[in-house]
Amino acid sequence: MSQSPDNFDALQKLLALKRHEPPPPGYFNRFAGQVIARLEAEGGVPSPTWWQRWWEALNAPPVLALSYGAVIVGLVMLGTGLLQSLELDADPALAASQPWLARDSISVAAVAPPRAEVLLSPAVDPAGPASSFSPVLGNSAPPFLFNPSGLRVERVSYQPR
Amino acid sequence: MSTSVLEQPTAPPAPPVLATLDDRALVRRAKSGDLAAYDELVRRYQERIYATLYHMTANHEDANDLAQEAFIKAYHSLRSFKGDSTFFTWLYRIAVNRTINFLKQRKHKTHLSLNDLDFNAEHDPDLVALISDKTPRREAGLAELQEKLNAAMLQLSETHRLVVALHDVQGLSHEEISRIMDCNVGTVRSRLFYARQQLQSLLSDYLKSP
Repeated sequence: MSQSPDNFDALQKLLALKRHEPPPPGYFNRFAGQVIARLEAEGGVPSPTWWQRWWEALNAPPVLALSYGAVIVGLVMLGTGLLQSLELDADPALAASQPWLARDSISVAAVAPPRAEVLLSPAVDPAGPASSFSPVLGNSAPPFLFNPSGLRVERVSYQPR
Repeated sequence: MSTSVLEQPTAPPAPPVLATLDDRALVRRAKSGDLAAYDELVRRYQERIYATLYHMTANHEDANDLAQEAFIKAYHSLRSFKGDSTFFTWLYRIAVNRTINFLKQRKHKTHLSLNDLDFNAEHDPDLVALISDKTPRREAGLAELQEKLNAAMLQLSETHRLVVALHDVQGLSHEEISRIMDCNVGTVRSRLFYARQQLQSLLSDYLKSP
């Protein structure tokens, strides 16, 4: 009678024969020594390259990784700021055409409080007191507040009662 | 493959304190360049790794070279070991993948260089029963049976042979094998079933009931 295709008992007993095939005597006493000798002959552990160290740092715990990230972002921002200031110093035309980039104007605007006369100048005409013949918005209004595109505002007509 | 290192002198055993450390601690030390710690890891797993590779290759010299290379490659790759699996599973993967690649290259120049059976084999009641009752010729000895068995194993594909070697010879669980082979347990079971069917067919003369 043949073995059932799903009954592998006899086969498993036969496969157990393979457990009785040991290597030559003393083999395992030498094996570890041979591996270590080969490693020593190759120079041991190669020191990690900079990118390996960087990659390990990224795989660090989250708090550490976040602090690394913050430092990197800070360095990038500092570098960008330095680069911009160097470009402006080297190219005065650029600074003139883009005043908001000018380092001096930014620093002055950031440090000095706005002057009252500058803020009031659109509403009060410095030429004289307001009257029906001298409207609040005259030609002397500073262009940067209400007339950014440079349009002129002129009186058309006025009919007093 | 070179076997010149076989003539190296026997190394002294690892310091006793290392033997008390677990794998994680030894791996940490080995990562920082402590070769004594790695020596202890090699001693822990050398027999299992060698046995698996021997059952895969049916050749002592090849198994020896592949086992040494696996331990050396594992040492150089320790930095990439994150501890997601056990060191044992990770090491097994390295050894098994290397051996499968080696066997694919060796495909057409297979040669058996089987180790001699140990004394216990002659006294194993299951094996004695196989020899006396189930072999086609009663005079067939264990050595002949060993040769037939290994020749049949070599006819299996590398993955099927690996499953049989790990489960039926070394006694690893399906789950452990699935982690080593990076596949699911169902795949391991189906490979094992198919491999056993093939072996049963190849060794039918030795497996017939009286």
